[in-house]
Amino acid sequence: MTNSRTSMVDLVTRWLILGLLIVYTIYNVGPIFWLILSSFKSRMDLFTMPPKLFFTPDFSGYQSVFGVGAAKDSASSVGVFDSLVNSIIVSVAGTSLAVFFGTLAGYVCSRFNFRGKGDFMFFVLSTRMLPPVAVLVFYHLMFARLGLADTRFGLVLVAIFANIGLATWIMKGFFDGVPKEVEQIAIVNGYTRMYAFTRLVLPMVKGGIAATAGFCFIFAWNEFAFASILTTTQAKTLPVKISAASGATGIEWTQICAAGVVLIIPVLIFFYLIRKHLLMGMTFGVLGRR
Amino acid sequence: MSAGPMLQLQGLKKAYKGKAALRGLDLTVNDNEIFALLGPTGAGKSSTLLASAGLIELDAGRVDLAGRDVTDADPASRDVAIVFEGFNLLPVLDVKDNIAFALRSPEFREAEDEIARRVGRTAELLRISHLLDRDVGTLSGGERQRVAIARALVRRPVMFLLDEPLSALDLKLREGLRAELRQIHRQYRSTMLYATHDYHGAIAIADRIGIIDGGVLQQAGPIEEIYRLPANVLVGKLIGSPSMAFLEAHVESGHVVIKGAEQRLPIGEFGTVAPGSGKVLLGVWPEDIEVGPAGAEGASAGTVYAVDNRGFERAIQVETPAGSFRKVVPLSMPVAQGDACSFRIPARAGFLFDAESGRRISQTGEGGR
Repeated sequence: MTNSRTSMVDLVTRWLILGLLIVYTIYNVGPIFWLILSSFKSRMDLFTMPPKLFFTPDFSGYQSVFGVGAAKDSASSVGVFDSLVNSIIVSVAGTSLAVFFGTLAGYVCSRFNFRGKGDFMFFVLSTRMLPPVAVLVFYHLMFARLGLADTRFGLVLVAIFANIGLATWIMKGFFDGVPKEVEQIAIVNGYTRMYAFTRLVLPMVKGGIAATAGFCFIFAWNEFAFASILTTTQAKTLPVKISAASGATGIEWTQICAAGVVLIIPVLIFFYLIRKHLLMGMTFGVLGRR
Repeated sequence: MSAGPMLQLQGLKKAYKGKAALRGLDLTVNDNEIFALLGPTGAGKSSTLLASAGLIELDAGRVDLAGRDVTDADPASRDVAIVFEGFNLLPVLDVKDNIAFALRSPEFREAEDEIARRVGRTAELLRISHLLDRDVGTLSGGERQRVAIARALVRRPVMFLLDEPLSALDLKLREGLRAELRQIHRQYRSTMLYATHDYHGAIAIADRIGIIDGGVLQQAGPIEEIYRLPANVLVGKLIGSPSMAFLEAHVESGHVVIKGAEQRLPIGEFGTVAPGSGKVLLGVWPEDIEVGPAGAEGASAGTVYAVDNRGFERAIQVETPAGSFRKVVPLSMPVAQGDACSFRIPARAGFLFDAESGRRISQTGEGGR
């Protein structure tokens, strides 16, 4: 009697959990599914009600995003491909430089004591706490004066500033996980600290560098606030372009959806590549100890 | 080389973030000897070794190595080898390259065929020849430590600095490797400074022992000498297994009166006694204390608080009004937890220590430091 009652309760709980999971999945996957579907729809199919699940795929959106094919010369496609190129350049350059400097700074913060180290570390972290909107206007004015407005170089600088703090902290965590005896053994045995750093310590934290680069790339790739204010035409990145994509014939939905899919793909690839290191990076290397 | 000092440390001072690790440490390690630096965690052992190797910047003091002032010299120019407790091997190199590591450095570079010869010979000595091509990640704890010792040995440095080299290993491995270190020492006539918190390990391997605590060398010498005249309470607490028994006492009309005990010890038994603050600690090596059944003639009363079986013997802890002590007794002695017992201090077995400073105040005329 009691048995069947508990199994009844079990069953209800199971169905409840299943139901919640379904709702959650639809909530999360639904928009992406819709986005992918729409990116292959022609203008005609896009707005039919109820939405069509089966239709003749139309690649014009992707063609314009990648700047190939028939749509290349049409007035509406100008800029989407360029903005993709902008996004790639800004993200890759910003990430590489932020990780490069963050790695050096993280190593120094992990291994050396200097006056005001705690304050410095907090300052570095605080650069990430700042709401970008708060300083946007200032940046806008400064960049205009310096001739950096609407340039890729300016956006690369922003990407470095925005990510170097995070990179420093994550890398410090990974370096903390490397025993200081590595360098001590090298130094006692006649090597320089530089040798120990580049040839012994860096290979030990390559996973950490990958994780840091992944984080920074995703942040730089998704960055919207700065890019939208600091660019007008030339340097527009893909997120900015999408948000404002309208052509001579109104809003180019197919193109926007295709660009959205393209926007998601690098993030997926990076997450896949660094998934092993993600947890370690998120805990700032504390789990990486020995 | 003669048996002069190989390493001489004078007045070393070092503080980390305002916390003192070394407070004026003096220490001398003679050529061809194994000197064990025995002390609890945080006593300053590692700092002493790092300072000897030149890996930390000293606040004050002087380091002489092989007759040369190396206080400000580069670590590499000192030609010492160091072995650490846990982390030792470089994971980016395989076993062979780990051992050959020093021989490829700008400072100690050798020709490749010489490297191969030396690595092979050292690996044979430590019986790790079969591991040479392995990845260090696949080695067991004992194998790792052998490789680490091989890496230190392959260079034939003027001195070895061993920082708890065996502490991460289990007892059996530890004893085996300790014997091998002794063997290597005999063969190569090398000088070793061996830091450990393990009393048994220290006396098993060392020619001389230094007791370190609070960043100061408390006493140094052969173990027999330390037993004969322990310098202070700290030394008594760190030496022996079990360590020295300390009983609260005071001096009254020519006798040492142990708190709450029957037995009174004539002060004349303690040699020349320096005037103290009145309250003293009576220190006795547990081996000297006579423990018997309750109510024995001329003995004081105590209670057996705990009994540890050690297989062929037993360690008991005896509670007395003056303090408790541990002692090893034979299995034949009938004793159980909670039993009443008696204890007696034989003549000339005890030392008096000042209760406040901890310094030994008895037997001061016998050449103690």
